[in-house]
Amino acid sequence: DLDTQPEVELSLDELLDQDPNAVAGILSRLYASFALSGPDGAGSSDIDDNAGESPFLRGIINLQDFTADAIKNRWGDDGLDQLTTTSNWDENNKFFRYLYNRIYYTIPQANNLLLVLGAVDLDNKDQIEGEVRFIRALAYYYLIDCFGKGVLATEENYGTSEPLPEVDRQELFTYVENELLAAEELLPDTNEYGRANKSVARMLLAKLYMNAGVYTGTERFDDAATYISKIIDEGGYSLDADFVSIFSGDNFMSNEIIFPLIADSQNSQSYGNTTYIINGSLGTETMTLSQFGAEEGWSGHRATKAWYGLFNNGDLANSTDDRAALFWTEGHSYEMTDYKKWTDGYPSIKFRNTFYYSASNPTSFSSTDFPLFRLADAYLMYAECAVRGAAGASMSTALGYVNAVRNRSNAGSVAQSDLTLNFIMDERGRELNFEGHRRSDLIRFGKFTGNSYLWPWKGNTVNGTSIPDTYKLFPIPLTALEANINLTQNPGY
Amino acid sequence: VVTDATTQEPLPGVSILLKGTTQGTATDFDGNYVLQANLGDTLVFSYIGFQSKEVVVSGSSLSVVLLEDTTTLDEVVIIGYGTTTVKDATGSVSSVTTEDFNKGAIVSTDQLLTGKTAGVRITNNGGQPDSAPNIRIRGGSSLTANNSPLIVIDGIPVDNTNPAGVSNPLTLVNPNDVESFSILKDASATAIYGSRASNGVIIITTKKGLSGEFKFNFSTNTTVSKVGKKIDMMDGDTFARFIKEYHPDYTNYLGVDDPSTDAVDDSSTDAIEGRILYNTDWQDAIYRTAISFDHNLSARGSILKTVPIRMSLGYTESQGLVKTSDYERITGSLKLTPRLLDDHLKVDVNAKGIMSKKNAIDEGGALGGAVNMDPTKPVYDNSYGNLFGGYYQNVKIEEDDEYNITRLDGQWNPVALLMQRYRPERVQKLLANVELDYKMHFLPELRAVANVGIEASKSKIKEVYVDNSIATYQINDTEHESVFNEGVNYRENQDIVNRTFEGYLAYAKDLGGAINNFDVQAGYSYQNFKNDGNKEIYRYNLDTGVREVQPNEQNPTNRYFNELNLQSFFGRANINFYDRYLLTLSFRADGSSLFVKDNRWGYFPAAALAWKVKEESFLKDVDVVNNLKLRLGWGRTGQQDITGQVGFYPSVPLFEAGSATSQYLSGYALYSAINFNPDLTWEKAETYNAGLDFGLFKGNILSGSFDVYYRTTKDLLAFVPTAPGQSLGSSFAKNVGETESKGFEINFNVKALSQEKMALEFYGNTSYNRAEVTNLKDATYISAIESDIPTGTGVKLARHAVGYQPYSAWVFKQLYDAQGNPIHGAFADFNGDGVVDNDDRYYKALRPNWTFGFGFNFNYGKLDLSSSFRGQIGGQVYNSRRLSLGWVDKAIPNNSNSLSNVLDFYNGAADFNFVNVQGNVPFSDYFLEDASFLRCENIVLGYRLDDAVPNVSMRFYGALNNPFIITKYDGQDPENFNAIDNNFYPRPRSFTIGVNVDF
Repeated sequence: DLDTQPEVELSLDELLDQDPNAVAGILSRLYASFALSGPDGAGSSDIDDNAGESPFLRGIINLQDFTADAIKNRWGDDGLDQLTTTSNWDENNKFFRYLYNRIYYTIPQANNLLLVLGAVDLDNKDQIEGEVRFIRALAYYYLIDCFGKGVLATEENYGTSEPLPEVDRQELFTYVENELLAAEELLPDTNEYGRANKSVARMLLAKLYMNAGVYTGTERFDDAATYISKIIDEGGYSLDADFVSIFSGDNFMSNEIIFPLIADSQNSQSYGNTTYIINGSLGTETMTLSQFGAEEGWSGHRATKAWYGLFNNGDLANSTDDRAALFWTEGHSYEMTDYKKWTDGYPSIKFRNTFYYSASNPTSFSSTDFPLFRLADAYLMYAECAVRGAAGASMSTALGYVNAVRNRSNAGSVAQSDLTLNFIMDERGRELNFEGHRRSDLIRFGKFTGNSYLWPWKGNTVNGTSIPDTYKLFPIPLTALEANINLTQNPGY
Repeated sequence: VVTDATTQEPLPGVSILLKGTTQGTATDFDGNYVLQANLGDTLVFSYIGFQSKEVVVSGSSLSVVLLEDTTTLDEVVIIGYGTTTVKDATGSVSSVTTEDFNKGAIVSTDQLLTGKTAGVRITNNGGQPDSAPNIRIRGGSSLTANNSPLIVIDGIPVDNTNPAGVSNPLTLVNPNDVESFSILKDASATAIYGSRASNGVIIITTKKGLSGEFKFNFSTNTTVSKVGKKIDMMDGDTFARFIKEYHPDYTNYLGVDDPSTDAVDDSSTDAIEGRILYNTDWQDAIYRTAISFDHNLSARGSILKTVPIRMSLGYTESQGLVKTSDYERITGSLKLTPRLLDDHLKVDVNAKGIMSKKNAIDEGGALGGAVNMDPTKPVYDNSYGNLFGGYYQNVKIEEDDEYNITRLDGQWNPVALLMQRYRPERVQKLLANVELDYKMHFLPELRAVANVGIEASKSKIKEVYVDNSIATYQINDTEHESVFNEGVNYRENQDIVNRTFEGYLAYAKDLGGAINNFDVQAGYSYQNFKNDGNKEIYRYNLDTGVREVQPNEQNPTNRYFNELNLQSFFGRANINFYDRYLLTLSFRADGSSLFVKDNRWGYFPAAALAWKVKEESFLKDVDVVNNLKLRLGWGRTGQQDITGQVGFYPSVPLFEAGSATSQYLSGYALYSAINFNPDLTWEKAETYNAGLDFGLFKGNILSGSFDVYYRTTKDLLAFVPTAPGQSLGSSFAKNVGETESKGFEINFNVKALSQEKMALEFYGNTSYNRAEVTNLKDATYISAIESDIPTGTGVKLARHAVGYQPYSAWVFKQLYDAQGNPIHGAFADFNGDGVVDNDDRYYKALRPNWTFGFGFNFNYGKLDLSSSFRGQIGGQVYNSRRLSLGWVDKAIPNNSNSLSNVLDFYNGAADFNFVNVQGNVPFSDYFLEDASFLRCENIVLGYRLDDAVPNVSMRFYGALNNPFIITKYDGQDPENFNAIDNNFYPRPRSFTIGVNVDF
C-alpha cells in the first residue's frame, strides 16, 4: 500500500487518543527546548548541531556571560575562545549558529502547537495559548537581543515554503511586546512549577522595556517600572533567606524564582542546562567534586576580578558579603594572566548540585534549576528604573529593594545617595552574574563596547582593550544566510 | 574430447562440421563426439562464446581445446526484465564475467568489479573485512539523496538499507557464486527500472547448473595481511623531547610515576626525574598481522539429467588489521533451472542463505586512541593495585577528608578498548525467488513472466564487556567505591522482510522484412520493504554506579519500524529494422510511499537507437572491421531515496515521545513534533548518451567501446538547512535545484597474443566525469553534510555551489614564507579589501574527474599471470591528521592530566608554525592534498595441474593484493570517498595462496 503507516511515531489524532494530556506533553516539550538538547536523552539533538554544545541555556551562558566581564572559559575551543576574548567574531562561529538554530527551533514548534490548539477541544485552551505565546516571545526576545533581526515566523505563515522577508529590530520588538501583552491577559496568576504565569510574562515584558533604548532607540523605563511593580506587588514572591539556596539542587523549593529552567539528574538530563555551569566550573586539579555534588569536573569556567573585585575591593576573605564567599580561591590566583590556565582566576561556586535543605549524593547530571527570572532581579530592575527617573518608580522604594537584596547576603545597607547607575551595574554584577544577563546589562549601561570599561581579556588582551560597537550584535550565522536569501549580515561582519 | 581452454572443463553441445559439407554432429555432456571423417579432412569446431577452430584430422581420436571469445557478439547480456546480445544492445551496458573478475583476497562481491569497467568508481570505506563500498556510476546524479546504483540480484532489486550489523550489502552474496555483472549506465538502459535507476543499475547473476553429470569444485585460500602505512606520530623519546622543548610545564605528565622516588621533574635539567618513560607505538599495539581463510565447495549438474542444479557452500573467516575486528561468514546457495512442458515453461529457482558474525569494534576509539595516546605510557600495567585487568590506564585520585576516589583521566587505553569489549553482530539472511517464464502453447511468441522474491534478514547485536573493563568503570557515590559492570551493555534485534512481485507479458515476433523482428512487453512491479527492530539500552545508575536497563515508558522496547512501498507499471518495445537499425522505447510509472498522494507518481520514458554499421553493404565485407555499432540514447530516471537522512515518513506530520531522560514538566509525558516536508517529490535525471562499439582485425584483436554522455538532474533531493523558522527543525530534505554532468568512457581490449599455448591480453578503461551545480533555486550554495572536518561537529568543508563541481572544498589560499613553510593564519586577501573573510574563500573540487583501470592476463601453457591496476587523476583529500594532530598545543591537556601524542614535527609530518587551529585555519588549502594515485590492485600467478589425479584438475595460485600504491599524498591513503582523511581503517596489504580443484 502506498500509504504506509508508522507504528512508533504517532499522528496527532493517535496521540490525542492515547494520552488525554497530550497537549500538555507537547507544551512540556516547548518549555524543555530552553534546557534540554533533544527528545532522546543528553546525546540527542533537536537541531543539527552537537547535542552537548548547542542547548539553549548553554548558548545563553556562552553568549551572555563569557562575552562579558565576569566569566571566562579556558578550553580554547575554536569559536568559544573568540567569545571569551570578545575578538575575531565572524559568521563561521558555530556558537552563534547554535543559539540562532535553537531560537528558530522553538518558534515553529510553538507555531505548530498554536495550530494544534485550534484543532482540539480543551478546557484550559486560553491558558495554554498564553503559555505558548510566552514561550515564543521568549525565543524572539533572544533573537532581538543577540542578533537584532530575523524573520517573523508565526502561526499565520507556518508552512509557507517561500523564504520569509527579513524584519528589523523595531518590528520584532513591537511583535514581542504585543504578544506578551496578549499572553499576560491569557495567563493565570499562578501556575504549576516551571510554567508561565502573569508575572513571568510581565518579567519578560519588563526586560524588553528596560532595553528598549538599545533595541529601538526609544527608552521605555516608565513601562518597565509599571510591570516590575506589578510583579513585586501582585506576584506573591519573596526573597529566599539564604542566597545559596537559590542555586542548589533543591531550588525548586524557592519562593524567589519567578521562572526556572528545570534540570533533573534523572528525568531531565542535558549537557546544556545547569550541568554546564556546575561541572564546567569544577576541576579536580584544585577542587573536590563531591563537595559540590558533581561527578565530573570539566575545568572550564573561572570568574575574573571584574566580578570578585566588586566585593571589598577583591579582599574576599575579609568581606562580610555572603556572595563574596562563592569563589574557589584555594590553589588559584587572583589575576587571570593566562585565561587558558585553570588556576588563573577563581572558579565560581555560586551554582552547585548539592541540596540546601537536605543531604544528597553526587550525580553526573545536575538537578539544579536555572533561575532565568527571580525576584532579586526584579528589585534591581526597579531600582535601575528609579535611578533613571522612570515615572512611577520612587527612590525610597528602590532603596528598600536594594537593601533587601544586600542584607539577605549580609552585604550591609547603602544610602539613597549611593544609588547611582554605576552602583546598580556593580550590584547587578554581584547579585546576578552567571545568570545570563550580563552582556545585555553592559550594553544597556554603555559599557560593553569601546574602552569606557575594560575587563580581563576583553578584545583578547590580558588587561582588556577597546572592542568595536558592531560587537553589540552577533553576526548572523552563515547557515541562516544560506537558507534564506532575504537575510542580510549585521554590519561589521 | 572438446574442452574449454580456461576451465579445462569439457564443453557440451559444440557443433562440429566437416568443412565444405553439411555433415556434422555435436558433443555430448562430457564433450565427446563421434564423426565419420577421413584423415586429412578438416573439422570446424564452433560454439557460442568461443572462437571457432579448424583442425585437420590426424588420427582416430581428436581432442580440441577451444578458446573463449570474450568479446563475442552473440554473448548474452542481461538487461532489465530480459536479455539481449552484445550485437543487439542499444543502451550503454557493460558486462563483466568470471574471467574478468579481480582475484586474490576477495571477501565481498563488489571487490570482483573494482577498476574493471569504465565509469564505475568503487571506493570502499577502508580496510574493514566488510567495509562498505561506495559505488558511483558516472559520478552519481544526486547531491545528498542516495547515489548508489540499484542492485538487482537474480532479477530481484534489493534493498538500499542494510540490515543492522551489515556494512556492506554485497558481502551477502558469496563472490564465488557470481557468474556475471551487467552494468547499465545510460538512462535508455536503466529507465525500465525507473525510480531507483538514476544512478545506474548493477545486475548480478549467479552461476547455474549444467546439463549432464555432476561436477564439483572446491577452492580454498589463506590470506596474510599487514598494515601498509601508519601515521607518522612521535615515538616515546621524540615526544619527551618535544614536551621538554615546547611544554616544559608538563613534563611531570610524561610516562608514569616512579614509585621508588618522590622526585618531581625539574624542567630546567635534561633528564626527567621521578617518572618512568615507556616507548609504546600505539598503532603497532592495536594492529596485527591478520590471517584469513576462505573455503568453497560447489556442485553443478542435473538431477535425473533434466533439472539443472547448482549448489554451493562457502565459509569465510576474515581477520581485520585491527585486533578483534573479526568477521565470519557461512553462505549457501541453491539454483534450479528446470525446463518444463516441452520447454515452454522455464523455471528459475534461487535461494541464497547467509550467516555472518562480525565483532564490531569501536573504530573511532581504537584508531583515534592509537594516534592520540601518549607514547611514553605503557600498554600493560602489572603493578599491584591495577584495577583494569592488567591494562594501563591514566587515573586521577581525588582525595576527600574521608575517602579517596579514583577517576579515569584522559584517553582510554585503546588496546583495552578492543580487548575488553565484545560485540558480536549476527545476521542471517535469505534471498530467494522463483521466476516462471511461460511461453504460451497456443502462441509461442507470447511469454508471461512472473517473479516472486523475498529478501529477509534477522540481525542480533549484543555488546558485552569483560570484567574490569575501563569503559564500565563507575563510582558508587553512596559507598564511595569502585564499581565495574561486566556483561551486556546493549542489544538490538531486527527483522527485515522485503517482498517483491513482478510480472510482465512479452511478445516477440520475427518478420524478416523491413521490420526484421520486434518485441514488446508490459508489466507491473510491487516492492514492499519492512524493517522492524528493537533495542535494549542501558544506563548507569547515578547513585550506585550499577548498569541497568534504561526505562522508556512510552516505548518500552525502544522499537523502530520503517516501511517503504514502491509500485510501478512499465513497458518496452524493441524494433529491429532491416537487422541494421534497432529502436528501443521504454516507459515506466513509479509510485513511492515517501511522498504524499499528489506528489507520489513519477513518469520515466526512454528511447534508444542503434545502427549496426557493420551490417551495411559498404562494410559487410571489410575484414578489418568485425563489429561497428553506433548507439544513441535518451531517457529520464528518478530518485526518491532520502530515507538515510529523513526516515521513511518524511512528508507527513508526526509526533514522537521523549525518552525517560528527556522529560520536563512533572506529570506530563513529553512529545515532540517531528520535522516534515509535504512538498517533497521525485528527483528527475535526464541523460543523453552516444556510444560506439567496435571490434577490429582478425579475431577481434582490438575491441572496445566509447561512450559520451550528458546528464541533467532536476528537483534535486537534498538535505539542506531549512529557512529559519519555516520548518520544525534546522535542516530537512527539499527539492532544491539542478546539476548537469558530462563525461565519456573508453573500454578497450587487446589480444596481443592468441595462440593455443600462449595468450596475452591487455585491457583498460578510462573515464572522465565532470558535474556542475547549475541552479539551486533560492540559494547559491548548500553545505555538503558529509564533509564534516574533525574540529567539532557541524563544521563543513565542502559545498555544492552554483557554477562549481558538487562537493567542492570552500577554502582560503594559504600563504607561505620564503622557505616554503606555511604562515600560520595568513591567507590571500583575494578581493584586496584589507580583511581576510569568507569573501576571500575559493572553491577546489574534491572529487576526481579522471578514473582509470587497466591490467593484463597472460597464459603460457598451464601457467597464468595476471595483474590489475586502477587509479584516479586529480581530486583532493583533506589531510585532517594535520588538523587534529599537527599543532603544538594539541599535546597538552584540556580538562585532564593526560598528554596527547602529535604528528612528528621534527621530521616534517607537521609544521611547528601551527600552535593552534582556530578561526580560519581549518579552512586553509594547506590541508588539501592532491589525491591522484595509481594502485596495484593485485598480481596473481597460477599454475594448473591436470593429470596428477585422474579426472581432477587443480589450479594453484598465489596473489598479492594491494602490494603498492603510487601517490604524492602524504597521509594514510588518498583513496577516500568523502575526501576527508580521519580515523581511517587502513586497507591491508595482503598475500594469498590458494588452490582450486575441479572434479
